[in-house]
Amino acid sequence: MNRKNKKILQTILIVVVALGIIVGLYLYAGQRAFVSTIFSGLTLGSLFFLVAAGLTLIFGLMDVLNFAHGSMFMLGAYIGWQFYTNPTFIFGIAPLALAFGTGVMFISVLKPYVVAWNLSPRMQKLLPTIAYILAAVVIVFAVLGFDILALADTAMVAMTTTTVGNPLAEISPQEPLEEFWIRPVLIMLGGLLIAFGSSKPGDKTQYAPKENLGKAILVPAILLVLTVVSVFIRESAPVSVLLMNGNIRFLLSILVSVAFGFVFGAVIEIILIRPLYARPTFIILMTLGLSYVIRELVQFLWDPLTYQMARPPLFAMPGKAASIGEWLRNGNSTIDILGVTVPTYRLFIIALGIIMFALVTLLMTKTRLGMIIRAGVQDPEMVEAMGINVKSVFTLVFALGVALATLGGIGAAPFLPVQPLMGDAYQTQGLITVVIGGMGSYVGAFVGAMILGIARAFGDYFALKLSLSPAIAEASTVIIMVIVLLTKPQGLFGKKE
Amino acid sequence: MSDVKHDDLLLVDHIHTYIGQFHILEGVSVRVPKGSITVLLGRNGAGKTTTLKSIIGLTPPREGKIIFDGMEIQGKRPYNIANLGIGYVPEHRAIFRQLSVLENLKLAERKKGDFERSSDFIFKLFPDLKRLYKLPGNHLSGGQQQMLAVARALVPENKLLLIDEPSEGLAPILIQQMMEAIETLSHTTTILLVEQNFIMASQLAKQFTIIDDGKSVSSGLMKDLVLQPEVIHRYLGASIKTRIELEMEHESKE
Repeated sequence: MNRKNKKILQTILIVVVALGIIVGLYLYAGQRAFVSTIFSGLTLGSLFFLVAAGLTLIFGLMDVLNFAHGSMFMLGAYIGWQFYTNPTFIFGIAPLALAFGTGVMFISVLKPYVVAWNLSPRMQKLLPTIAYILAAVVIVFAVLGFDILALADTAMVAMTTTTVGNPLAEISPQEPLEEFWIRPVLIMLGGLLIAFGSSKPGDKTQYAPKENLGKAILVPAILLVLTVVSVFIRESAPVSVLLMNGNIRFLLSILVSVAFGFVFGAVIEIILIRPLYARPTFIILMTLGLSYVIRELVQFLWDPLTYQMARPPLFAMPGKAASIGEWLRNGNSTIDILGVTVPTYRLFIIALGIIMFALVTLLMTKTRLGMIIRAGVQDPEMVEAMGINVKSVFTLVFALGVALATLGGIGAAPFLPVQPLMGDAYQTQGLITVVIGGMGSYVGAFVGAMILGIARAFGDYFALKLSLSPAIAEASTVIIMVIVLLTKPQGLFGKKE
Repeated sequence: MSDVKHDDLLLVDHIHTYIGQFHILEGVSVRVPKGSITVLLGRNGAGKTTTLKSIIGLTPPREGKIIFDGMEIQGKRPYNIANLGIGYVPEHRAIFRQLSVLENLKLAERKKGDFERSSDFIFKLFPDLKRLYKLPGNHLSGGQQQMLAVARALVPENKLLLIDEPSEGLAPILIQQMMEAIETLSHTTTILLVEQNFIMASQLAKQFTIIDDGKSVSSGLMKDLVLQPEVIHRYLGASIKTRIELEMEHESKE
């Protein structure tokens, strides 16, 4: 009883102090500055949440701190920006990526047969090695002379010209089909070889039932169809995408970016993280290294330059809308709220953050996957012993986390300069958010993100008003973290273990 | 132990299990005939829990065979083993504390409708759970948590239940209730039980295997074991004997 009273008292104290700070800021800054700062704070908070939600889910379930999360956020921005500005790049490499995926996914069909082969232990070791070497050779041959930089370049040229005249003027033609078709075929062969090698031929201890072959063939079959389609729409699709309504195109870029993040996350988890679960420090080093690899890759493709993605038409027309209805009709870039001019794109980001929070909450509380995640946070072994494939749940959660990060990236792209380091600050803030909210708590991530966003916005406001160094604004979030950790070491919504 | 009999649902054949660098099981063999309760006996730390974990695949054995229902299962992933029809009730009431009673049971479903099918049986066995089904797991008492842990294994159709120390830390009246529940379960399912409480074990089980220091040292019918106090004393220690004596004193008072 005493403990309960103490808890209530503590909560009241926190609420009173928070209210006091809010009222104080309101009186000090005045209504206009207060409202406008709150809005920029919520915008930042939404982006922080999109980064922190993935971090906290991944940490809560798998104890993995993903230091490449910021780079994945950045990659999401680049992919979405590319698709929006000039989809030639995406459609140009899609056949190759899909062909490779198709080849690798055939493992589910191959495995039941090859593990049953009678092979000597020597051959069991030798065959995969040969398969991998062959795969590498085949893939090198497949991409020989494929000018990926030209694809990325066309996109940039197009970007500088879209504002004047014909948006399609600068799409340079892709390799003709007669020359191109061999590339996806070879790459698929390479994927098949990798699938063959990693299904451990002759290893009879592997569990690979032949019974559900019909189910196993489904995924590779779908991918095969997609590959063929992507080969044929390679040249026509970028044009039709560019001729689309800009808002729909933006929506599509978001979907492309999220889908990319999901697949990328799944691949990273399976190939790089899964072998390291027994060695947590290795995972940290690996993700740290991965972040550099991603950054260098982006600099290689698009040069270490800073781009500005054009805002979609719904947020682009100069001029202030008086009401939400007017904004939606005309697509104004700013809107009048309580006498304060707020950029409409900020409202979009805030809405995005709130919608994603609602979706994550639904996922965690109402679905079976959410139940498995909450159970797995406590005891993944027991979840597995109940007949649930925890490894695949780990993959799914990692993929979802990365998809949230790439969503944040494409959401931020029209609002932040698109450059290779754009994710770093968000990763730091995301980590601070996770610490404040409590490791593993998505509610904590949301509340923490909003508190941090608003603190940061007021930090900026004071730095400007009192002509302090901008470092004060940067420090504001760290100060909040220190205060929270001193009062609640396990974070606002963290569970004591 | 090498002669496989057809009525054996589970055969554990000379398994060696390591946890990290520690050689925990150094040749454990257990036979679990279909349709009755087999109990693993032994001192604390003898390797009983590790044997159960080796069967379900959480600590896979490095050597030896485990044959369940005619199929070799050693080396398979735990979820594959569980899906063959093995329910595992771990020690220390390892229920999911953040999930409600209902969610704990729902999570145990292997296919849709498992819970609907089994809920009447479960709530008849443990009427308390029906009353509590909305509460989060961490609001339950120790006994209720243990009941939930057993109930969870009853949701899907299992051929074999592995139950680890169901009476541990329970009040006497709850031990009685748990014993009745396990006795009822044994009519429909084969059970491999780990139990420190010798009284409970001897009343429930038909067969026994004694594990001592990572090796199975003796096995047979329970009705023969109770006539061999020197075996009980040697492998199960004085504590068991005192418990028997206590029980006898208790009975003589009544």
